[in-house]
Amino acid sequence: MLNAEHLSCGYGEKKIVRDVQIHLHAGERLAILGPNGCGKTTLMRALAGLLPFEGTVTAAGLDMRRASRKQAAQAVALMTQMGSADFGYSVYDTVMMGRYAHQRGGLFAGASAEDRAIVEDCLSQTGLSDLRDQPVTQLSGGQLQRVFLARVFAQQPSIILLDEPTNHLDLQYQVELIALLKRWTSQGSRCIVGVLHDINLALEFADRLLVMQDGCARYEGPADKLDVTLLQEVYGIDVRAWMQKCLSRWAE
Amino acid sequence: MGSVSVPPAAIGRVLLNKLFAVPLPDGFPRVYPGLVWSIRIPRVLLSFLTGAGLAVSGAVMQSVLKNPLASSYGLGVSSGAGLGAVVMIIWGFGSSVVMLPVVCLLCGFGAVVFAMIFSQKIDRGLSNNTIILTGMVLSLFLNALMSTLAATNPDYTRLISLWQLGSFSSREWRQVVPVALIVPLCMLFFSCYAREMDLMTFGEEQAAALGVSLKRTKWMLIGAVSLLTGTCVAFVGIIGFVDLIAPHIVRRFFGPLHKTLIPLSAVFGGTFMVVCDLAARTLTSPSEIPIGSITALLGAPFFIYVYWTSRKGEK
Repeated sequence: MLNAEHLSCGYGEKKIVRDVQIHLHAGERLAILGPNGCGKTTLMRALAGLLPFEGTVTAAGLDMRRASRKQAAQAVALMTQMGSADFGYSVYDTVMMGRYAHQRGGLFAGASAEDRAIVEDCLSQTGLSDLRDQPVTQLSGGQLQRVFLARVFAQQPSIILLDEPTNHLDLQYQVELIALLKRWTSQGSRCIVGVLHDINLALEFADRLLVMQDGCARYEGPADKLDVTLLQEVYGIDVRAWMQKCLSRWAE
Repeated sequence: MGSVSVPPAAIGRVLLNKLFAVPLPDGFPRVYPGLVWSIRIPRVLLSFLTGAGLAVSGAVMQSVLKNPLASSYGLGVSSGAGLGAVVMIIWGFGSSVVMLPVVCLLCGFGAVVFAMIFSQKIDRGLSNNTIILTGMVLSLFLNALMSTLAATNPDYTRLISLWQLGSFSSREWRQVVPVALIVPLCMLFFSCYAREMDLMTFGEEQAAALGVSLKRTKWMLIGAVSLLTGTCVAFVGIIGFVDLIAPHIVRRFFGPLHKTLIPLSAVFGGTFMVVCDLAARTLTSPSEIPIGSITALLGAPFFIYVYWTSRKGEK
Protein backbone atom coordinates (compact mmCIF):
# COMPACT_ATOMS: atom_id res chain seq x y z
CA MET A 1 0.00 0.00 0.00
CA LEU A 2 2.70 2.46 1.03
CA ASN A 3 6.32 1.63 0.33
CA ALA A 4 9.36 3.83 0.83
CA GLU A 5 12.80 2.48 -0.18
CA HIS A 6 16.05 4.19 0.80
CA LEU A 7 14.20 7.45 1.32
CA SER A 8 16.42 10.46 2.01
CA CYS A 9 15.31 14.07 1.95
CA GLY A 10 15.95 17.50 3.42
CA TYR A 11 16.11 21.19 2.63
CA GLY A 12 18.89 22.31 0.32
CA GLU A 13 22.10 20.35 0.74
CA LYS A 14 21.32 19.22 4.27
CA LYS A 15 19.77 15.75 4.50
CA ILE A 16 17.36 15.64 7.42
CA VAL A 17 15.98 12.17 6.78
CA ARG A 18 18.45 9.44 5.78
CA ASP A 19 17.78 6.05 4.21
CA VAL A 20 14.39 5.27 5.74
CA GLN A 21 12.33 2.22 4.69
CA ILE A 22 8.59 1.93 5.20
CA HIS A 23 6.42 -1.06 4.27
CA LEU A 24 2.75 -0.71 5.04
CA HIS A 25 -0.08 -2.99 3.94
CA ALA A 26 -3.76 -2.17 3.50
CA GLY A 27 -5.59 -1.77 6.78
CA GLU A 28 -2.42 -1.03 8.78
CA ARG A 29 -1.68 2.02 10.90
CA LEU A 30 1.87 3.22 11.40
CA ALA A 31 2.93 5.58 14.17
CA ILE A 32 6.19 7.49 13.88
CA LEU A 33 7.93 8.13 17.20
CA GLY A 34 11.03 10.11 18.01
CA PRO A 35 12.28 13.19 19.83
CA ASN A 36 11.80 16.73 18.53
CA GLY A 37 13.81 17.54 15.41
CA CYS A 38 14.45 13.92 14.40
CA GLY A 39 12.88 14.48 10.96
CA LYS A 40 9.33 13.19 11.45
CA THR A 41 7.57 16.14 9.79
CA THR A 42 10.14 16.26 6.98
CA LEU A 43 9.56 12.56 6.33
CA MET A 44 5.79 13.14 6.17
CA ARG A 45 6.22 15.94 3.63
CA ALA A 46 8.34 13.69 1.42
CA LEU A 47 5.78 10.85 1.67
CA ALA A 48 3.08 13.30 0.55
CA GLY A 49 5.24 14.25 -2.42
CA LEU A 50 5.60 17.85 -1.23
CA LEU A 51 9.38 17.69 -0.87
CA PRO A 52 11.97 16.41 -3.36
CA PHE A 53 13.49 13.14 -2.16
CA GLU A 54 16.03 10.44 -3.04
CA GLY A 55 14.97 6.81 -3.18
CA THR A 56 11.46 5.71 -4.12
CA VAL A 57 8.01 6.22 -2.64
CA THR A 58 5.09 4.20 -3.98
CA ALA A 59 1.65 5.05 -2.62
CA ALA A 60 -1.37 2.96 -3.68
CA GLY A 61 0.59 1.85 -6.72
CA LEU A 62 1.51 5.41 -7.69
CA ASP A 63 5.13 6.46 -8.14
CA MET A 64 5.10 9.68 -6.12
CA ARG A 65 8.05 11.15 -8.01
CA ARG A 66 6.25 10.96 -11.34
CA ALA A 67 2.73 11.75 -10.14
CA SER A 68 1.11 15.09 -10.89
CA ARG A 69 -0.01 17.12 -7.89
CA LYS A 70 -3.66 16.12 -8.41
CA GLN A 71 -2.86 12.41 -8.83
CA ALA A 72 -0.76 12.52 -5.69
CA ALA A 73 -3.56 14.23 -3.76
CA GLN A 74 -6.01 11.54 -4.83
CA ALA A 75 -3.72 8.87 -3.36
CA VAL A 76 -2.26 10.60 -0.30
CA ALA A 77 -3.75 13.23 2.01
CA LEU A 78 -1.69 15.17 4.54
CA MET A 79 -3.04 16.88 7.62
CA THR A 80 -0.38 19.28 8.89
CA GLN A 81 0.12 20.38 12.46
CA MET A 82 -0.05 24.07 11.69
CA GLY A 83 -3.48 24.40 10.15
CA SER A 84 -4.81 27.92 10.38
CA ALA A 85 -7.73 29.80 8.91
CA ASP A 86 -7.36 33.48 8.03
CA PHE A 87 -10.45 33.96 5.89
CA GLY A 88 -14.00 33.23 7.00
CA TYR A 89 -15.00 30.31 4.79
CA SER A 90 -17.91 28.26 6.08
CA VAL A 91 -17.23 24.80 7.49
CA TYR A 92 -19.10 23.30 4.53
CA ASP A 93 -17.08 25.19 1.91
CA THR A 94 -13.84 24.30 3.67
CA VAL A 95 -14.62 20.58 3.68
CA MET A 96 -15.72 20.83 0.05
CA MET A 97 -12.17 21.99 -0.79
CA GLY A 98 -11.10 18.42 -0.07
CA ARG A 99 -12.84 17.48 -3.31
CA TYR A 100 -10.52 19.69 -5.38
CA ALA A 101 -8.25 16.89 -6.61
CA HIS A 102 -11.29 15.00 -7.95
CA GLN A 103 -12.84 17.95 -9.78
CA ARG A 104 -12.11 19.26 -13.25
CA GLY A 105 -10.45 22.64 -13.55
CA GLY A 106 -11.63 25.73 -15.38
CA LEU A 107 -14.32 28.36 -15.27
CA PHE A 108 -17.39 26.16 -14.91
CA ALA A 109 -15.90 23.59 -12.55
CA GLY A 110 -18.12 23.06 -9.55
CA ALA A 111 -19.33 20.56 -7.02
CA SER A 112 -21.21 17.55 -8.41
CA ALA A 113 -24.04 15.78 -6.59
CA GLU A 114 -21.51 13.10 -5.66
CA ASP A 115 -19.16 15.71 -4.17
CA ARG A 116 -21.98 17.11 -2.06
CA ALA A 117 -23.01 13.67 -0.82
CA ILE A 118 -19.40 12.86 0.16
CA VAL A 119 -19.04 16.18 2.03
CA GLU A 120 -22.31 15.53 3.90
CA ASP A 121 -21.03 12.12 4.92
CA CYS A 122 -17.68 13.51 6.12
CA LEU A 123 -19.44 16.23 8.11
CA SER A 124 -21.65 13.75 9.93
CA GLN A 125 -18.75 11.32 10.56
CA THR A 126 -16.79 14.07 12.29
CA GLY A 127 -19.81 15.47 14.13
CA LEU A 128 -19.73 18.81 12.29
CA SER A 129 -23.16 18.78 10.66
CA ASP A 130 -24.52 21.40 13.05
CA LEU A 131 -21.58 23.73 12.45
CA ARG A 132 -21.74 23.63 8.65
CA ASP A 133 -22.51 27.33 8.19
CA GLN A 134 -20.10 28.62 10.84
CA PRO A 135 -17.13 30.61 9.55
CA VAL A 136 -13.95 28.63 10.28
CA THR A 137 -12.38 31.74 11.79
CA GLN A 138 -14.82 31.49 14.71
CA LEU A 139 -14.15 27.87 15.65
CA SER A 140 -12.17 26.58 18.61
CA GLY A 141 -8.84 24.85 17.96
CA GLY A 142 -10.42 21.44 18.42
CA GLN A 143 -13.32 22.19 16.09
CA LEU A 144 -10.95 23.52 13.44
CA GLN A 145 -8.86 20.36 13.75
CA ARG A 146 -12.00 18.29 13.10
CA VAL A 147 -12.84 20.45 10.06
CA PHE A 148 -9.41 19.70 8.61
CA LEU A 149 -9.90 16.01 9.36
CA ALA A 150 -13.26 16.07 7.58
CA ARG A 151 -11.55 17.75 4.63
CA VAL A 152 -8.91 15.00 4.56
CA PHE A 153 -11.71 12.38 4.55
CA ALA A 154 -13.46 14.26 1.73
CA GLN A 155 -10.26 13.96 -0.30
CA GLN A 156 -10.92 10.17 -0.35
CA PRO A 157 -7.26 9.17 -0.41
CA SER A 158 -5.91 5.65 0.04
CA ILE A 159 -3.36 6.87 2.55
CA ILE A 160 -3.76 9.54 5.21
CA LEU A 161 -0.69 11.17 6.75
CA LEU A 162 -1.39 12.88 10.07
CA ASP A 163 1.14 15.20 11.66
CA GLU A 164 0.23 15.63 15.33
CA PRO A 165 -3.52 15.21 14.78
CA THR A 166 -4.32 15.29 18.50
CA ASN A 167 -2.56 18.60 19.12
CA HIS A 168 -5.58 20.75 19.91
CA LEU A 169 -7.92 18.01 21.05
CA ASP A 170 -9.11 17.36 24.56
CA LEU A 171 -9.04 13.79 25.89
CA GLN A 172 -12.55 12.93 24.78
CA TYR A 173 -11.86 13.96 21.19
CA GLN A 174 -8.47 12.24 21.21
CA VAL A 175 -10.19 8.97 22.05
CA GLU A 176 -12.91 9.66 19.48
CA LEU A 177 -10.33 10.53 16.85
CA ILE A 178 -8.44 7.29 17.37
CA ALA A 179 -11.72 5.35 17.06
CA LEU A 180 -12.64 7.35 13.93
CA LEU A 181 -9.27 6.64 12.33
CA LYS A 182 -9.46 2.95 13.17
CA ARG A 183 -12.89 2.76 11.57
CA TRP A 184 -11.63 4.60 8.50
CA THR A 185 -8.74 2.16 7.96
CA SER A 186 -11.07 -0.82 8.31
CA GLN A 187 -13.20 0.36 5.35
CA GLY A 188 -11.49 -0.95 2.21
CA SER A 189 -7.83 -0.80 1.25
CA ARG A 190 -6.55 2.13 3.23
CA CYS A 191 -3.75 2.89 5.66
CA ILE A 192 -2.66 5.71 7.95
CA VAL A 193 0.68 7.11 9.01
CA GLY A 194 0.60 9.30 12.11
CA VAL A 195 3.19 11.33 13.96
CA LEU A 196 2.17 11.21 17.61
CA HIS A 197 4.07 12.67 20.53
CA ASP A 198 2.09 10.77 23.12
CA ILE A 199 3.72 7.32 23.24
CA ASN A 200 0.72 5.71 24.96
CA LEU A 201 -1.65 7.11 22.37
CA ALA A 202 0.71 5.94 19.61
CA LEU A 203 0.74 2.40 20.97
CA GLU A 204 -3.05 2.43 21.26
CA PHE A 205 -3.42 3.75 17.71
CA ALA A 206 -0.84 1.85 15.69
CA ASP A 207 -0.12 -1.70 14.72
CA ARG A 208 3.27 -0.77 13.29
CA LEU A 209 5.93 1.61 14.58
CA LEU A 210 8.76 3.60 13.09
CA VAL A 211 11.18 4.96 15.69
CA MET A 212 13.46 7.72 14.46
CA GLN A 213 16.58 9.34 15.81
CA ASP A 214 18.64 12.02 14.03
CA GLY A 215 16.94 11.35 10.70
CA CYS A 216 17.59 7.59 10.72
CA ALA A 217 15.18 4.77 11.44
CA ARG A 218 16.08 2.86 14.61
CA TYR A 219 13.14 0.46 14.39
CA GLU A 220 10.51 -0.37 11.79
CA GLY A 221 8.15 -3.22 12.55
CA PRO A 222 5.12 -4.45 14.50
CA ALA A 223 4.16 -2.36 17.51
CA ASP A 224 4.05 -5.29 19.91
CA LYS A 225 7.65 -6.35 19.07
CA LEU A 226 9.18 -3.01 20.09
CA ASP A 227 12.01 -3.26 22.60
CA VAL A 228 11.40 -0.62 25.28
CA THR A 229 15.14 -0.21 25.90
CA LEU A 230 15.39 1.29 22.39
CA LEU A 231 12.92 4.03 23.40
CA GLN A 232 15.04 4.76 26.47
CA GLU A 233 18.06 5.20 24.22
CA VAL A 234 16.23 7.40 21.69
CA TYR A 235 14.53 9.70 24.18
CA GLY A 236 17.45 9.77 26.61
CA ILE A 237 15.29 9.08 29.67
CA ASP A 238 14.10 5.96 31.47
CA VAL A 239 10.77 5.75 29.62
CA ARG A 240 9.54 2.68 31.45
CA ALA A 241 10.14 4.17 34.92
CA TRP A 242 8.50 7.46 33.90
CA MET A 243 5.41 5.79 32.50
CA GLN A 244 5.04 3.56 35.55
CA LYS A 245 5.37 6.60 37.80
CA CYS A 246 2.79 8.56 35.83
CA LEU A 247 0.33 5.73 35.48
CA SER A 248 0.64 4.38 39.03
CA ARG A 249 -1.70 7.12 40.30
CA TRP A 250 -4.53 5.57 38.26
CA ALA A 251 -4.21 2.23 40.04
CA GLU A 252 -7.07 1.53 42.39
CA MET B 1 -21.84 65.59 -14.09
CA GLY B 2 -18.94 68.01 -14.01
CA SER B 3 -18.16 71.67 -14.38
CA VAL B 4 -20.84 71.96 -17.07
CA SER B 5 -24.04 70.20 -16.12
CA VAL B 6 -25.79 68.19 -18.81
CA PRO B 7 -29.36 66.97 -18.17
CA PRO B 8 -29.78 63.15 -18.12
CA ALA B 9 -32.21 63.22 -21.03
CA ALA B 10 -29.62 64.94 -23.17
CA ILE B 11 -27.05 62.27 -22.27
CA GLY B 12 -29.55 59.63 -23.40
CA ARG B 13 -30.09 61.41 -26.70
CA VAL B 14 -26.36 61.66 -27.35
CA LEU B 15 -25.92 57.96 -26.64
CA LEU B 16 -28.80 57.04 -28.97
CA ASN B 17 -27.32 59.30 -31.60
CA LYS B 18 -23.82 57.81 -31.38
CA LEU B 19 -24.73 54.16 -30.97
CA PHE B 20 -27.87 53.82 -33.12
CA ALA B 21 -27.66 56.92 -35.33
CA VAL B 22 -30.91 58.37 -33.97
CA PRO B 23 -30.90 62.02 -35.12
CA LEU B 24 -30.64 64.75 -32.49
CA PRO B 25 -33.62 67.12 -32.13
CA ASP B 26 -33.45 70.67 -33.47
CA GLY B 27 -32.03 73.22 -31.08
CA PHE B 28 -30.01 70.58 -29.16
CA PRO B 29 -27.02 72.35 -27.54
CA ARG B 30 -23.99 71.88 -29.80
CA VAL B 31 -21.46 71.29 -27.05
CA TYR B 32 -23.36 68.34 -25.54
CA PRO B 33 -22.46 65.58 -28.06
CA GLY B 34 -18.75 66.32 -27.91
CA LEU B 35 -18.76 66.81 -24.16
CA VAL B 36 -20.72 63.66 -23.39
CA TRP B 37 -19.33 61.29 -26.02
CA SER B 38 -15.69 62.38 -26.17
CA ILE B 39 -15.01 63.45 -22.59
CA ARG B 40 -17.54 62.31 -20.02
CA ILE B 41 -18.30 58.77 -21.17
CA PRO B 42 -14.69 57.66 -21.75
CA ARG B 43 -13.85 59.09 -18.37
CA VAL B 44 -16.60 57.23 -16.52
CA LEU B 45 -15.82 54.00 -18.38
CA LEU B 46 -12.11 54.29 -17.68
CA SER B 47 -12.65 54.99 -14.00
CA PHE B 48 -15.04 52.03 -13.70
CA LEU B 49 -12.65 49.69 -15.50
CA THR B 50 -9.55 50.68 -13.54
CA GLY B 51 -11.49 50.56 -10.27
CA ALA B 52 -12.65 47.05 -11.16
CA GLY B 53 -9.19 46.00 -12.28
CA LEU B 54 -7.45 47.29 -9.17
CA ALA B 55 -10.05 45.77 -6.83
CA VAL B 56 -9.71 42.36 -8.48
CA SER B 57 -5.93 42.42 -8.44
CA GLY B 58 -6.06 43.33 -4.76
CA ALA B 59 -8.37 40.41 -4.03
CA VAL B 60 -6.09 37.98 -5.88
CA MET B 61 -2.97 39.29 -4.18
CA GLN B 62 -4.48 38.99 -0.70
CA SER B 63 -5.35 35.36 -1.34
CA VAL B 64 -2.16 34.34 -3.12
CA LEU B 65 0.03 35.87 -0.42
CA LYS B 66 -2.41 34.76 2.30
CA ASN B 67 -2.27 38.20 3.83
CA PRO B 68 -5.37 40.38 4.29
CA LEU B 69 -3.27 43.54 4.13
CA ALA B 70 -1.47 42.65 0.90
CA SER B 71 -2.26 44.72 -2.13
CA SER B 72 -1.42 44.56 -5.79
CA TYR B 73 1.03 47.42 -5.23
CA GLY B 74 3.10 45.50 -2.71
CA LEU B 75 5.18 43.68 -5.28
CA GLY B 76 6.52 46.85 -6.82
CA VAL B 77 4.27 46.78 -9.90
CA SER B 78 3.03 50.30 -9.41
CA SER B 79 6.36 51.72 -8.31
CA GLY B 80 8.06 50.10 -11.28
CA ALA B 81 5.43 51.36 -13.68
CA GLY B 82 5.42 54.76 -12.00
CA LEU B 83 9.18 55.09 -12.32
CA GLY B 84 8.89 54.15 -15.99
CA ALA B 85 6.29 56.89 -16.42
CA VAL B 86 8.41 59.49 -14.65
CA VAL B 87 11.44 58.73 -16.81
CA MET B 88 9.29 58.96 -19.94
CA ILE B 89 7.81 62.28 -18.80
CA ILE B 90 11.28 63.71 -18.21
CA TRP B 91 12.46 62.51 -21.60
CA GLY B 92 9.54 64.34 -23.16
CA PHE B 93 7.23 61.45 -23.97
CA GLY B 94 4.71 62.58 -21.35
CA SER B 95 1.89 62.99 -23.83
CA SER B 96 2.52 59.83 -25.85
CA VAL B 97 -0.42 57.41 -25.68
CA VAL B 98 1.54 54.41 -26.96
CA MET B 99 5.10 54.76 -25.69
CA LEU B 100 4.20 55.79 -22.15
CA PRO B 101 1.82 52.89 -21.30
CA VAL B 102 4.06 50.31 -22.96
CA VAL B 103 7.16 51.45 -21.08
CA CYS B 104 5.12 51.63 -17.86
CA LEU B 105 3.88 48.08 -18.27
CA LEU B 106 7.38 46.79 -19.03
CA CYS B 107 8.87 48.56 -16.01
CA GLY B 108 6.07 47.21 -13.79
CA PHE B 109 6.74 43.68 -15.03
CA GLY B 110 10.46 44.20 -14.59
CA ALA B 111 9.98 45.17 -10.95
CA VAL B 112 7.82 42.10 -10.23
CA VAL B 113 10.17 39.69 -11.99
CA PHE B 114 13.07 41.19 -10.08
CA ALA B 115 11.19 40.87 -6.76
CA MET B 116 10.18 37.27 -7.47
CA ILE B 117 13.61 36.11 -8.69
CA PHE B 118 15.34 37.81 -5.79
CA SER B 119 12.87 36.19 -3.35
CA GLN B 120 13.52 32.80 -4.90
CA LYS B 121 17.29 33.30 -4.65
CA ILE B 122 17.20 34.00 -0.93
CA ASP B 123 14.39 31.56 -0.17
CA ARG B 124 13.95 28.54 -2.45
CA GLY B 125 10.54 27.74 -1.12
CA LEU B 126 9.36 31.15 -2.36
CA SER B 127 7.42 31.75 0.83
CA ASN B 128 4.93 34.58 1.12
CA ASN B 129 6.75 36.53 3.80
CA THR B 130 9.89 36.72 1.69
CA ILE B 131 7.89 37.95 -1.30
CA ILE B 132 6.01 40.56 0.72
CA LEU B 133 9.19 41.84 2.35
CA THR B 134 11.14 42.00 -0.92
CA GLY B 135 8.23 43.72 -2.65
CA MET B 136 7.92 46.29 0.10
CA VAL B 137 11.64 47.14 0.11
CA LEU B 138 11.67 47.36 -3.68
CA SER B 139 8.57 49.60 -3.70
CA LEU B 140 10.07 51.99 -1.17
CA PHE B 141 13.32 52.13 -3.12
CA LEU B 142 11.59 52.82 -6.45
CA ASN B 143 9.32 55.43 -4.87
CA ALA B 144 12.37 57.19 -3.47
CA LEU B 145 13.93 57.20 -6.95
CA MET B 146 10.71 58.66 -8.30
CA SER B 147 10.64 61.47 -5.74
CA THR B 148 14.32 62.21 -6.34
CA LEU B 149 13.71 62.49 -10.07
CA ALA B 150 10.69 64.72 -9.45
CA ALA B 151 12.68 67.02 -7.16
CA THR B 152 15.67 67.33 -9.48
CA ASN B 153 13.53 68.12 -12.53
CA PRO B 154 11.47 71.10 -11.38
CA ASP B 155 9.92 71.60 -14.84
CA TYR B 156 8.11 68.30 -14.54
CA THR B 157 7.36 68.23 -10.82
CA ARG B 158 3.70 69.11 -11.32
CA LEU B 159 3.17 66.54 -14.07
CA ILE B 160 4.91 63.85 -12.04
CA SER B 161 2.95 64.53 -8.88
CA LEU B 162 -0.25 64.39 -10.93
CA TRP B 163 0.88 60.95 -12.07
CA GLN B 164 1.73 59.78 -8.56
CA LEU B 165 -1.83 60.39 -7.39
CA GLY B 166 -3.58 59.29 -10.55
CA SER B 167 -5.96 61.17 -12.77
CA PHE B 168 -8.80 60.48 -15.18
CA SER B 169 -8.81 63.95 -16.73
CA SER B 170 -8.50 64.38 -20.50
CA ARG B 171 -8.74 60.68 -21.26
CA GLU B 172 -9.86 59.60 -24.70
CA TRP B 173 -11.35 56.51 -26.31
CA ARG B 174 -7.98 55.23 -27.51
CA GLN B 175 -6.91 54.99 -23.86
CA VAL B 176 -10.14 53.27 -22.83
CA VAL B 177 -9.98 50.50 -25.42
CA PRO B 178 -6.82 48.68 -24.21
CA VAL B 179 -8.03 48.79 -20.61
CA ALA B 180 -11.46 47.55 -21.71
CA LEU B 181 -9.77 44.55 -23.34
CA ILE B 182 -7.32 43.60 -20.61
CA VAL B 183 -9.51 44.02 -17.50
CA PRO B 184 -12.25 41.55 -18.58
CA LEU B 185 -9.65 39.10 -19.92
CA CYS B 186 -7.79 39.03 -16.62
CA MET B 187 -11.05 38.67 -14.72
CA LEU B 188 -11.97 35.65 -16.81
CA PHE B 189 -8.55 34.17 -16.14
CA PHE B 190 -8.89 34.68 -12.38
CA SER B 191 -12.38 33.17 -12.38
CA CYS B 192 -10.84 29.98 -13.81
CA TYR B 193 -8.54 29.84 -10.79
CA ALA B 194 -11.21 30.64 -8.17
CA ARG B 195 -10.93 27.26 -6.39
CA GLU B 196 -7.14 27.28 -6.39
CA MET B 197 -7.19 30.68 -4.69
CA ASP B 198 -9.72 29.42 -2.13
CA LEU B 199 -7.29 26.63 -1.25
CA MET B 200 -4.25 28.90 -1.17
CA THR B 201 -5.77 31.07 1.57
CA PHE B 202 -5.28 28.10 3.91
CA GLY B 203 -1.53 28.12 3.39
CA GLU B 204 0.76 26.83 0.71
CA GLU B 205 1.48 23.40 2.12
CA GLN B 206 -2.20 22.65 2.63
CA ALA B 207 -3.06 23.82 -0.89
CA ALA B 208 -0.32 21.63 -2.34
CA ALA B 209 -1.41 18.64 -0.25
CA LEU B 210 -4.94 19.08 -1.57
CA GLY B 211 -3.69 18.91 -5.16
CA VAL B 212 -2.78 22.45 -6.27
CA SER B 213 0.36 22.73 -8.41
CA LEU B 214 1.56 25.50 -6.21
CA LYS B 215 4.55 27.16 -7.84
CA ARG B 216 3.05 27.18 -11.32
CA THR B 217 -0.29 28.54 -10.11
CA LYS B 218 1.43 31.19 -8.01
CA TRP B 219 3.61 32.43 -10.88
CA MET B 220 0.67 32.56 -13.28
CA LEU B 221 -1.58 34.42 -10.86
CA ILE B 222 1.13 36.91 -9.93
CA GLY B 223 1.94 37.39 -13.62
CA ALA B 224 -1.70 38.13 -14.42
CA VAL B 225 -2.02 40.49 -11.46
CA SER B 226 1.05 42.38 -12.68
CA LEU B 227 -0.46 42.71 -16.13
CA LEU B 228 -3.74 43.95 -14.70
CA THR B 229 -2.25 46.42 -12.20
CA GLY B 230 0.42 47.53 -14.66
CA THR B 231 -2.22 48.30 -17.29
CA CYS B 232 -4.31 50.34 -14.86
CA VAL B 233 -1.29 52.28 -13.58
CA ALA B 234 -0.03 52.88 -17.12
CA PHE B 235 -3.22 54.64 -18.16
CA VAL B 236 -4.34 56.49 -15.06
CA GLY B 237 -1.35 56.69 -12.69
CA ILE B 238 -1.04 55.32 -9.18
CA ILE B 239 -4.38 55.10 -7.37
CA GLY B 240 -4.19 53.39 -4.01
CA PHE B 241 -6.59 51.80 -1.52
CA VAL B 242 -9.31 50.61 -3.91
CA ASP B 243 -7.41 47.35 -4.29
CA LEU B 244 -7.16 47.04 -0.53
CA ILE B 245 -10.66 47.93 0.62
CA ALA B 246 -12.93 46.58 -2.13
CA PRO B 247 -12.18 42.89 -1.50
CA HIS B 248 -12.49 43.36 2.26
CA ILE B 249 -15.93 44.90 2.03
CA VAL B 250 -17.13 42.23 -0.40
CA ARG B 251 -15.81 39.44 1.84
CA ARG B 252 -17.54 40.95 4.83
CA PHE B 253 -20.95 40.81 3.16
CA PHE B 254 -20.72 37.93 0.70
CA GLY B 255 -18.06 35.60 2.15
CA PRO B 256 -14.57 34.81 0.90
CA LEU B 257 -15.36 32.30 -1.90
CA HIS B 258 -13.55 33.56 -5.00
CA LYS B 259 -16.36 32.48 -7.29
CA THR B 260 -18.30 35.48 -5.98
CA LEU B 261 -15.43 37.58 -4.62
CA ILE B 262 -13.83 38.25 -8.02
CA PRO B 263 -16.90 39.58 -9.89
CA LEU B 264 -18.33 41.44 -6.89
CA SER B 265 -14.98 43.09 -6.11
CA ALA B 266 -14.93 44.28 -9.70
CA VAL B 267 -18.42 45.75 -9.46
CA PHE B 268 -17.75 47.36 -6.09
CA GLY B 269 -14.29 48.67 -7.02
CA GLY B 270 -15.57 50.07 -10.29
CA THR B 271 -18.54 51.80 -8.68
CA PHE B 272 -16.39 53.15 -5.84
CA MET B 273 -13.93 54.59 -8.34
CA VAL B 274 -16.66 56.28 -10.39
CA VAL B 275 -18.06 57.86 -7.21
CA CYS B 276 -14.59 58.97 -6.09
CA ASP B 277 -13.92 60.49 -9.50
CA LEU B 278 -17.26 62.27 -9.35
CA ALA B 279 -16.26 63.71 -5.99
CA ALA B 280 -12.84 64.64 -7.36
CA ARG B 281 -14.41 66.60 -10.20
CA THR B 282 -17.30 68.27 -8.44
CA LEU B 283 -16.33 68.97 -4.81
CA THR B 284 -13.95 71.81 -5.62
CA SER B 285 -15.21 72.48 -9.17
CA PRO B 286 -13.84 73.81 -11.48
CA SER B 287 -10.45 72.67 -10.12
CA GLU B 288 -9.92 68.92 -9.54
CA ILE B 289 -8.72 67.00 -6.49
CA PRO B 290 -6.35 64.18 -7.52
CA ILE B 291 -8.28 60.91 -7.48
CA GLY B 292 -5.57 59.16 -5.46
CA SER B 293 -6.16 61.64 -2.63
CA ILE B 294 -9.89 60.95 -2.55
CA THR B 295 -9.49 57.16 -2.44
CA ALA B 296 -6.81 57.50 0.24
CA LEU B 297 -8.96 59.88 2.31
CA LEU B 298 -11.63 57.20 2.39
CA GLY B 299 -9.24 54.27 2.37
CA ALA B 300 -6.77 55.14 5.11
CA PRO B 301 -9.27 55.08 7.98
CA PHE B 302 -10.54 51.78 6.60
CA PHE B 303 -7.03 50.34 6.59
CA ILE B 304 -6.72 51.08 10.31
CA TYR B 305 -10.12 49.52 10.95
CA VAL B 306 -9.09 46.28 9.19
CA TYR B 307 -5.80 46.23 11.05
CA TRP B 308 -7.55 46.48 14.39
CA THR B 309 -10.20 43.89 13.71
CA SER B 310 -7.69 41.37 12.31
CA ARG B 311 -5.51 41.92 15.37
CA LYS B 312 -8.41 41.09 17.63
CA GLY B 313 -9.07 37.94 15.60
CA GLU B 314 -5.58 36.66 16.44
CA LYS B 315 -6.50 36.31 20.10
